[in-house]
Amino acid sequence: MLNFLSCRENGTLDPLALVRAEATRRTFSLELSKEQDVKRIHASGVNSLDLDPVEGRYLISGGADGVIAIYDTHNLSGTPSNTSEAVCTVGRSHRHVHKYSVETVRWYPHDTGLFTSSSMDKTLKVWDTNVLLPAEVFQFEGTVYSHAMSPVAKKHCLIAVATMTSIVTLCDLKSGSSTHILKGHRAAVKCARWSPRNPYLLATGSQDNKVLLWDVRSAKSSLMSLDQHNGELATSTAAVNTAHNGHVNGLCFTPEGLHLLSFGTDNRLRLWDTATGRNTLVNYGKICNESKKSVQFTVSCGSSPDVVFVPDDSSIAMFDVFGGTSLHRLVGHYNYVQCCVFNPDTQELYSGGSDSNILVWVPDLGRGEDYEESKKQKAEPSQRSQTTQAYQDTWSSDED
Amino acid sequence: MMSKRKALMPDVFKRRKRVRVGGLVRPTPSSPQWGSDNEEHISAAVPSDTKAAIMYLCSLFPKQMYEGRIPPIIMKHQLYSVVKNKTLVDRQLNDLRNAHEVKMMKLGNEVDEYCLVFTEDYKNHIATFYGQELSKTVERFLEDVVSRTNEMCVTQQIMTDHNFTDVEITQLVNAGVLTVRDLGSWWLAIPGAGLFVKHFTKGKKAVLASIRKSKYKEILKQELESRKMTASVKLGMSYHIHDIIGGDLVTCIETTSGELLRLKDD
Repeated sequence: MLNFLSCRENGTLDPLALVRAEATRRTFSLELSKEQDVKRIHASGVNSLDLDPVEGRYLISGGADGVIAIYDTHNLSGTPSNTSEAVCTVGRSHRHVHKYSVETVRWYPHDTGLFTSSSMDKTLKVWDTNVLLPAEVFQFEGTVYSHAMSPVAKKHCLIAVATMTSIVTLCDLKSGSSTHILKGHRAAVKCARWSPRNPYLLATGSQDNKVLLWDVRSAKSSLMSLDQHNGELATSTAAVNTAHNGHVNGLCFTPEGLHLLSFGTDNRLRLWDTATGRNTLVNYGKICNESKKSVQFTVSCGSSPDVVFVPDDSSIAMFDVFGGTSLHRLVGHYNYVQCCVFNPDTQELYSGGSDSNILVWVPDLGRGEDYEESKKQKAEPSQRSQTTQAYQDTWSSDED
Repeated sequence: MMSKRKALMPDVFKRRKRVRVGGLVRPTPSSPQWGSDNEEHISAAVPSDTKAAIMYLCSLFPKQMYEGRIPPIIMKHQLYSVVKNKTLVDRQLNDLRNAHEVKMMKLGNEVDEYCLVFTEDYKNHIATFYGQELSKTVERFLEDVVSRTNEMCVTQQIMTDHNFTDVEITQLVNAGVLTVRDLGSWWLAIPGAGLFVKHFTKGKKAVLASIRKSKYKEILKQELESRKMTASVKLGMSYHIHDIIGGDLVTCIETTSGELLRLKDD
């Protein structure tokens, strides 16, 4: 590290190399935070988490009890130990609270003034953060499993909504109504994600085992259906063009948008090339996935090699994205992990599970010992004064 | 756990000392990126880890017991217990299949369970299995189809391309080199593999039951290997241990007295 810093000073090192090296070290050394935690608001499982994309500061969570909470993750207390308090909540007593479980919450990609939430009560609500009232409510025919807004789109504000009906609906924030529907799946759509590279590219995963890629401008059906066998085994009538041998309930693009990861109830994770739609045949092994709903997983940003964090039963498995080797397992939750988000600036990871906890995973910043010592020094005098008061004794062994 | 994790962490700051020979700094062998691991260097240097692993697993297969009734068959997932990088295994296996050295076939109860046989073994097996009765159709099938495709299944299209009539296809199915998969598509198969599947599933069940019965549902690999279960485990204990490790049915935990196998409770 010091060598890298001096090289950087001399100008003999590429500026990005230092950033990349440190980001990699931090990503690989993630562990459950001893100092930080998030206040427990939800009475039942946490279904969805999102970190605001502007500052990476405000964490929003949606729970199975219908409650939405926003937390401030910055530590302003001046001490290393900190509990992230809720800035505001949409509690059960709120007038506009979701009737049933909140499945997905998302920040508006350009601002913290707006967030969206979708729920089992068949609605999608667009909230004004400052007054905490819904600005718009969209009604659907089936329960909403997931929704997404494009992080890079400049020319449209479409929300792709995946519902229990096989249709993907696009809702336009400009007009407050649904602009068009995407037909192609044959069963409930579990997840939808926009590409971070192409503002019109949408990926959806469904209960019919398929992952479809859409160009929302095209009037035709989907661009392509991802095929796990790359057309080699396309002879069977039953298993034609499926991405998984089970329901697809998780999707995630890599940060540069060149690859797509899909997660299915066949306990597999697959990596796809988004340009060609081919399976890259990276084998991550068996990852337990029994969720009937959408699972939110994430990929690290800026580290080399990049790491994917996938909920695996009650732990989070870390894999090398392009190599497929298992790197580590983050153990801490008491029940199924439902969602995780990665903070690309500080390399922290937040995860929510059915045990209604939100856990903070922090990298080893190499200052643990100093903290421990300072804590001891602070704690010791107070302890000593208390004990001496209780067991005061004039006798001293120093005189012998 | 911690030491394993440290080994996996890429050397981002190039902290490892370089080997100095006669005052000269030797460049580290072809590591342009810190992403490359030591283990990968070794596996890249040896021609093909996967082939070696297949040969090793085939050597575990009890050939004498079957007296040539079955060729050495191994399951694909067993390889993952020998070579740890699963992606590498898949890629090298694809190369081997494209070079027609190894045949992959559908066998077993699970959706993604496949078995592997050396092409040479497979052909010899069919020749000895039928001996004098080897029909012209089967012989032609071996030469025209088996030697040329690397697919696990054949379609009506491929069969008609090679001038096989419907009657001949029926003959092949009866001979056991094809099994029906779907309308107009067949899996390649090994005649007489039923005996293997029977022993395999029975043995697997017995091994898993023996782990389940032990305290905390975990057992030292060494202890399991030394258990005598010849009646139910016909294929050999180490063959089954490779199967359950590779199939992710148990987790391997490194301890000071060897590897510990803990049953995953699903």
